[in-house]
Amino acid sequence: MGKITFFLSVLVIVGFAREEGDKTSENLQTACLQCHQKEQIPSSLIYRRYLMHYSTPERISEAMFRYLKAPKRENSIMPPQFFLKFPMKRKIERNDAELKAYIHRYIEAFDVKKKLVLP
Amino acid sequence: MLQSEKRSLLRFLLIYMGSTFLLFSIASWLFYTSAKHHILDTQKEALKYESQKIETTLRTLHQSGSDRLVYPVMKDADSAIYDLDRHYIFGTFKKPPRLDKKEKHRLSYVVEVEPYYLGAAYLLLSKPIDMAPLHALQRNVVLFMLFAGLFFAILGYYLGRLFIAPMRESIRQMNHFIQDTTHELNTPISTILTNIEMIETFGECDGSREELQRIEIASKTLSRIYDDLTYLNLNHQYHRQIIDLDMSRLVEERMVYFSAMAEAKRLQIEVDMEPVVVLKMDKNDAVRLIDNLLSNAIKYNKPKGLLYVKLTKHYFSVKDGGVGIRKKDLLGIMQRFKRANTSEGGFGIGLDIVNQVVNSYDFVLHIESKLHQGTEVKVQWEK
Repeated sequence: MGKITFFLSVLVIVGFAREEGDKTSENLQTACLQCHQKEQIPSSLIYRRYLMHYSTPERISEAMFRYLKAPKRENSIMPPQFFLKFPMKRKIERNDAELKAYIHRYIEAFDVKKKLVLP
Repeated sequence: MLQSEKRSLLRFLLIYMGSTFLLFSIASWLFYTSAKHHILDTQKEALKYESQKIETTLRTLHQSGSDRLVYPVMKDADSAIYDLDRHYIFGTFKKPPRLDKKEKHRLSYVVEVEPYYLGAAYLLLSKPIDMAPLHALQRNVVLFMLFAGLFFAILGYYLGRLFIAPMRESIRQMNHFIQDTTHELNTPISTILTNIEMIETFGECDGSREELQRIEIASKTLSRIYDDLTYLNLNHQYHRQIIDLDMSRLVEERMVYFSAMAEAKRLQIEVDMEPVVVLKMDKNDAVRLIDNLLSNAIKYNKPKGLLYVKLTKHYFSVKDGGVGIRKKDLLGIMQRFKRANTSEGGFGIGLDIVNQVVNSYDFVLHIESKLHQGTEVKVQWEK
C-alpha cells in the first residue's frame, strides 16, 4: 500500500512539473518568440551574437535585461544595419523578476552546452 | 711515498675533486634545466599549433548555428573551453580540470580566445609530457658527470703528484742536509776528541804540535760551518755595516786562517795581490765570500795541488788544480744544497752564500772549470 502511495505521489509530482515546464515554455513562446518568428527576427543569431560578446549566461542576461528595459540602439548588441531591416523593439511592460525569468528561459533555450557533442 | 705526502695529496684531491664536482654539478644542473625547458617548449609549440586549429573550428561551429555542434578532438591531447568567469563549458577531459591547475606529468597550455566563439574565453590544452627525450637528457648528463669525474680524478691525481714534487724535493734536501750536517759536524769533533786523547795519552811535548794543528783545523772547520749556517739562516735579518774595507788585508788574514788546512794538504800556494784594494762592503759578507771560495779550493784540490789566489782592483779570483766540475753541473752549481761532487764533505751551501753576496753587491760571478784539471772562480767587482 505504501509503495502504491509513493508511486502515485511521484507520478503526480512529475506530471505537475512537466505541466509547469510546458507552461513556461509556452509563456516564452507566446511572450517572446512568437513575435520574433512573426517579424522573422533571427533569435538564434541574436543569442550567438550575445554569446560571442559576453561569454557567460550571467553577463548575457545582464546585457539583455539592460536592453529590454531601455530598447535603444546604444544598448543593443546588434549592428546599426540590423535596425534598417527590423523594427526597434517596444519597451516591455513587465516586472523585473518576470523579465529576468524570460531571459533565463531564452538563454536556456539556445544554450550551446546542450548542443555541443563529442564525435 | 711519505705519510705527509700521502696526506697532502689526499687533501689536495679532496679539495680539487670537491670543488670540481660542485662546479660541474652547478653547470650540469643549469644545462639540464635549460635543455629541459627547450624540450618542453618544443612540445608546447605542438599544443600551440593545435590550439590554433581548435580556435578555427570553434569559430566555424559558432557561425554554423547548427543544433549539433561536434567539438574537435585531438589524437594525443585533451582540450576544454571555459567562459569569461573561468567556468567549464565543454571539453574532452574525463574529469573537467580547473583552468589554473597544473599537473606534474602533464603539459598544459592556456590560450585566451577573443571573440568568445561558443562563449569560450579560454581554451585549455593538455597532454602527457613525452618523457623519452627528458630521460635521454638525464642519462646524458649523468654519463657526462661520470666521465668528467673520472677524467678530473685522473688529472687531479697527476696534478697533485706534480704539486707535491717540490715538497718532496725539499724533504729530500732536508734529509740530505741533516745527514750532511751530522757527518760534517762528526768529522771535526772526532778529530778534536781523538787528538786531545792523544795529547792526554802521550803528554804535551814537541811531537804534539801536529795534533794541535789538527785540532785547530777541526775547530776552524766547526767555526766556519757555524758561520755559514748562521749567515744562511739570518741573512734576511742581518743588518749590514758598509765600510771602506781593505780587501788585500782581509784576504791575507783569511789565507793565514786557512793556512793550516792548506798545509795539511800540502798545497802549492801562489798569491798575487795588489797592495790596497778597498771596497765598500760589510766585513762579514766579505769574509763569507773569501772563506767559501778558499775553503772550496782547498777542499776539492788534489794533494800537493795548486792554489792560486789573485786580487786586483777589478776582481778576486781563486783557482785550484782539483777535481773540476762537469759542464752540465755548472749551471745549477749555485743552488742551495747542490753538490756537483760528493767526494768531499759539505752541505752544498758554499757557492749559494757566495752567490748571495755577489747579488747583494751587484758583483759578477764567473766560474770556469775543466773536469780533473781544476776550477777558477772569479768575482768581478764591477759589471
